[in-house]
Amino acid sequence: MASPVVVAPILVALATAVLTLVTRFDARAQRATSVLGGVAYFAVVAVLFDRVVLSGPTVVPYYVSNWPAPYGITLVADALSAFMLGLAAVVGLAAVVFGSTYVDEFGQRLSYHPLFHFMMAGVSGAFLTGDLFNLFVWFEVMLMSSYVLVLFYSGREHTRAALNYVVLNLLASAVMLVAIGGLYATTGTLNMADMARRLADPAAYGVELAPTLGLASLLLAVFALKAGVVPFHFWVPAAYRAAPAPVTAVLAGVVKKVGVYAIIRLFFTVFAGGAYANTATFAYVGPILALMAGASIVYGGVGAVGRDDVDGLLAFSSVGQVGFIVLPLGVGMAAPDLTVAFAGAERTLAALGVAAALVYAFNHALAKSLLFLASGTLHATVGTTRLDRLGGLAARTPLVAASFLLGGLSLIGVPPLVGFFGKLLVFRTATEAMAGGTPGAGVALAVALGGAVLTIAYVTRAWNAVFWGEPSETVRTVLPERWRGVGAGGDAATDGGTNGGGSDATDRALAVQVTTLVALALCIVGFGVGVEFVVDAAAHAAHAATDTQGYVSAVFDPATQPGGEGGGH
Amino acid sequence: MLETVLAVVFLPFVGAALTPLVYRALGERTAYYAAAVAAVCLALVARLYATGAHGVARVEWVPSLGVSLAFYVDGLALLIAFLASGVGVLILTYSGGYMHGEPGQAKYYATLLAFMGSMLGVALAGDLFALFTFWELTSLSSFVLIGHYTTDESSQYAARKSMLITVSGGLFMLVGFLALSWAGGTTLIAGDGSLLANADATVETLRTAGLFLPTLLLVGLGAATKSAQVPFHVWLPNAMEAPTPVSAFLHSATMVKAGVYLVGRFRPFFLAPFDSGDHGEGEAAAEAAAAAASALPAWTWVLVTLGLLTMTVTAILAVGATDIKELLAYSTASHLGLIVAGFGAANTYGAETGAFHILNHASFKATLFLVAGIISHEAGTRDISSLGGLRHDLPVTAVLAGLASLSMAGIPPFNGFYSKELLFESMWYLGEEFGGLTWLFPAVAVFGSVFTFLYSIKFLSLFLGDRRPSLGEVHRPPVAMLAPPAVLGVAVAVISAVPNVAIDAIVGDVYASAAVGEAHSFSVHLPTELSPYVLMSAITIGVGALLWPQYDRIHDGIRSLLRGPVRANWWYDNGVEGLTAGSKSVVPRVQTGLLRTYAAWALAGTAALALGAYLAAGVGLPAVELAEGTTVAVVLVLGVALVGAAAVTVAPSHVAGVLTLSILGFMVAIFYILADAPDLALTQLVVETLVLVIFLLVLDRLPAYYGSPERLVAARDAVLSVAVGGTVFLTVLLATAGSPDSIATRLVELAGLPPGEHHAPVFFDYGGGANIVNVILVDLRAMDTMGEISVVAMAALSVLTLIRMRSRGEAR
Repeated sequence: MASPVVVAPILVALATAVLTLVTRFDARAQRATSVLGGVAYFAVVAVLFDRVVLSGPTVVPYYVSNWPAPYGITLVADALSAFMLGLAAVVGLAAVVFGSTYVDEFGQRLSYHPLFHFMMAGVSGAFLTGDLFNLFVWFEVMLMSSYVLVLFYSGREHTRAALNYVVLNLLASAVMLVAIGGLYATTGTLNMADMARRLADPAAYGVELAPTLGLASLLLAVFALKAGVVPFHFWVPAAYRAAPAPVTAVLAGVVKKVGVYAIIRLFFTVFAGGAYANTATFAYVGPILALMAGASIVYGGVGAVGRDDVDGLLAFSSVGQVGFIVLPLGVGMAAPDLTVAFAGAERTLAALGVAAALVYAFNHALAKSLLFLASGTLHATVGTTRLDRLGGLAARTPLVAASFLLGGLSLIGVPPLVGFFGKLLVFRTATEAMAGGTPGAGVALAVALGGAVLTIAYVTRAWNAVFWGEPSETVRTVLPERWRGVGAGGDAATDGGTNGGGSDATDRALAVQVTTLVALALCIVGFGVGVEFVVDAAAHAAHAATDTQGYVSAVFDPATQPGGEGGGH
Repeated sequence: MLETVLAVVFLPFVGAALTPLVYRALGERTAYYAAAVAAVCLALVARLYATGAHGVARVEWVPSLGVSLAFYVDGLALLIAFLASGVGVLILTYSGGYMHGEPGQAKYYATLLAFMGSMLGVALAGDLFALFTFWELTSLSSFVLIGHYTTDESSQYAARKSMLITVSGGLFMLVGFLALSWAGGTTLIAGDGSLLANADATVETLRTAGLFLPTLLLVGLGAATKSAQVPFHVWLPNAMEAPTPVSAFLHSATMVKAGVYLVGRFRPFFLAPFDSGDHGEGEAAAEAAAAAASALPAWTWVLVTLGLLTMTVTAILAVGATDIKELLAYSTASHLGLIVAGFGAANTYGAETGAFHILNHASFKATLFLVAGIISHEAGTRDISSLGGLRHDLPVTAVLAGLASLSMAGIPPFNGFYSKELLFESMWYLGEEFGGLTWLFPAVAVFGSVFTFLYSIKFLSLFLGDRRPSLGEVHRPPVAMLAPPAVLGVAVAVISAVPNVAIDAIVGDVYASAAVGEAHSFSVHLPTELSPYVLMSAITIGVGALLWPQYDRIHDGIRSLLRGPVRANWWYDNGVEGLTAGSKSVVPRVQTGLLRTYAAWALAGTAALALGAYLAAGVGLPAVELAEGTTVAVVLVLGVALVGAAAVTVAPSHVAGVLTLSILGFMVAIFYILADAPDLALTQLVVETLVLVIFLLVLDRLPAYYGSPERLVAARDAVLSVAVGGTVFLTVLLATAGSPDSIATRLVELAGLPPGEHHAPVFFDYGGGANIVNVILVDLRAMDTMGEISVVAMAALSVLTLIRMRSRGEAR
């Protein structure tokens, strides 16, 4: 059944953005609105998740303006969309709470809150839309807000990073328009379900299939740029370092995943056509995607090992980690029909690959946003994230240290943290492909293993430099002793402490930040021990992503279409 | 049984979680709280043993992945669990004395308990991935324990090294486990329907897929890194940066024992007879089966080679050691090599060796480490050259050290002798059965054992002779530190005196766990007649005794050889440093910060992807013909646009470039007019005008000079431009060639209008507007419009942000 709950996440985020604009006169009201908006977003996503996954799984369309598909814009919530929205809601809530104490008062009142929620609106729209051109629009919403948030501090390096980020994304937007226009001209439709239907049965709609592979490849380049996969990763390190920590958390945790989501949605649901009728797409795209993923894993890992600041290290790590997310997609495309026993049924390797990518993406969203936020807390307390100016923080801020360690270990894939299960599924996808005789799967596996070793190398390097070792001069000045929570700052201030142990307000801000970090760390442990929930949701999502038939028939279900075909409204 | 097993495994974790609270109440006496927790575990393990528990118990964990928290109880599991919890009690008690006044005690005891719990989990796990979970937790807790003195550079180095090596090895093993569960269709290790129960069929599946040897190597890699086998032994000597009780625990009962445990656990699987007779196709398969039966099993040549190599190399390194803990660390690796070689051998003596030596090594090595802890604590040094004659100051300790080092040396009638003798026996039979190069096995075993003899006697000699004058006052150890090694020393003595009681009690069951097929009962005796392996023992001890007077020369000789690439550490250090240095030099070259580079890569990537796809799809170029209604005016306008585009590339200045570019834009606008699209034309004109004005305003503030690019860069850019232009041109050409049944046409048909007519009425009816563009924008695709409106709002916000934040930054 069609349901307005589908559109709710977009509306909540947009409404919050507008409300935080009109409450600019009062900083506290604005902050409260923003955090409440984050909570409301989480709540509606929970309702949607329950509707689509827990009491289903079903595919729920929503026909915007009551125009029937394929004429108007259709939003579609299925298990895949719900999974991605859930990921966005968790990270978004953490980031909005963290940001309300991290970004300075002036910046918050100026534009931070509206931009943040516009970004969430763009992300939600991208996850929910069932229309190719509408996807472009939500990309633009998401990107426009992230442009501003990247250059938010407006310093020299921020402007430079933002310029690179903007220009590369504008190029990608242009390419995307060409591809969308081409696909409309070729298939005669913009509605994704309709396009899938037409590609599966081209003769019935007078569709010439030949150009679609090239057009799909153009889209792949665009999505790869959004996801930051080599060789489209160039904007990532500078932009992640320039943006305020809570924004980087969302950029790395969620916005990057929009690219991954788009690859899954377009290639597995739409271009794969009914029952892999159009296998040529997979045969061409799969190996290329695996190659790009492998290059990302190696380059991101090698790049991260030698960085001299936590932010830079984490940014390069993101390039590597997204490689791990994309790799199983490529491998799954290379042998899509291989059957594997997974989640209590015989499924295809394509579905396993998608599930692996999703679980890994979920872990990366939690772990990387935690790590970027922790890096933000370091910045807020010590004033730097340079490795040589930190040290000895495990004894001074044990909770930040413990959270950081859990985040890092989850990136490595240490059980029973949720990251382990991501690694497990990625490795399993490659192992099944190798055992099934897929050429190159062994190489993919070897690259993934090498990348995992690199992950251990850079996580332990950062840990040793930041949390162990002799505290640097800076650390000794700012945090002369262990930080003991709200109210303890007064003594430190009289001892000559500056920003770290300063006023009660700073202490309260720090308390909120540390609480956020601990909450995310607990999520990493909780979703690891209770990983069945995540794997089950990912399995449903993977099924939804590969079940083109189910997607198409839900969108064109005469019972839900407004007035039926041709009835108008 | 399930409740007991769950209690054994999770009690230490609960205990660890409560430790910070307990520490607040008890302070340093937390050691005894932790020891009590370990004692309860020990009692529970004893209960499992006493009730004769055997088999699988499980609770669901991740049913979607077929992973359950399954436990399997048998002799091998119980022995390791006994060692972990029993030695755990002693270590934690000992810590109460050793850690007096040390920093970070709450963390220390919590981690030590978690360490013990993880090891109990490894021992008892009956599911591949549950095993892996506890396996990685042992690596993790030893990371924290090795790095206990967090501000020490060397602790950090050691902790990172152990983490890098053991966790990496674990990940390789994980892939091996995935291959196993793929082939066996189960994640259960032992019990009904498990990998071990269906070993034959599973091994055959692996062989057919060509994955048998890779799987063996991957699983072996996990065991080798954990059990510090050459060349991964390098982390173990550094791990002595941990407080000594941790070293004793890590070397005797936990962590490194996990690797040999795994080898013992999977021994029956990988040695399972490969039976292709029933399923083979023709003679070739039968021949292959016959060849497989007579050839040395892969398991044996991999593990015996690895084990003997490790045993020998690390024994030599132990002789070269200058620090008592370093000596013991290398010795641990050496004895683990012995166990691996034993389990590797494809005969019953091999399994007996491994089973018995796990117990013997734990008993004497834990004793020796605790003795070393007493020495360093009471004498204040661990330097071998400055220690001697310690029996005068530490008489009880000297007796314990004597007992344990003679056992380590493999001298009869001590327990170490019996398992060493079994190794010789199994190696000898390998030579006899397979002939040829396998005769090297017994030879190397004897060669390596000579060095074992030498360093064992060296450790003993610390207590003999005259007291060194350099030695200051040596205190008597407190009871808490003396009692645990005394208990272990008594264990060594008891096992030495009545080895067959130990075998009947538990070692026999351990042997049964690691044996292929039916296990027979076994017993050991002091030799009464001359056999080849008795001769081997005699040679070992004889040659060792002959060489002993030359110990210092051998020691110096080994140290002088250990330079550069001969050392595995050289490879590790250069690898890690080279990686960091490589990263520092590669990244600035790739991430140049130049937009030109970035855009070039992105565009080249896009063009390559699309052109490759057109090539792969084998598209033919559609016939190009002039469309109907092409007038001279249209051709002229587009021609001027082309000239404008070409002129941009040779424009001498920014301003000229922008002006020529706008020629192109305005020509397109005119084209729209000619093509009956006034809305588009108006939009285009507005945009072009605005862009031109803004550009000129901005350019006013920039230098007017372009500069001339390098020839090579210009050529590259030219090629790239042509490729990108070609891609877009081809895309448009191909995409517009088809004439699908589009939704726009369908919408018109639905309204019942003949195609090509004026369509206003339908949009008026449905959309409430007479202008088709308006209806599309505000009704049909209203959501797009809403999105774009927010983009415009954000653009305004961005201007605001840039100006306000920047002026604020400048004001600072």
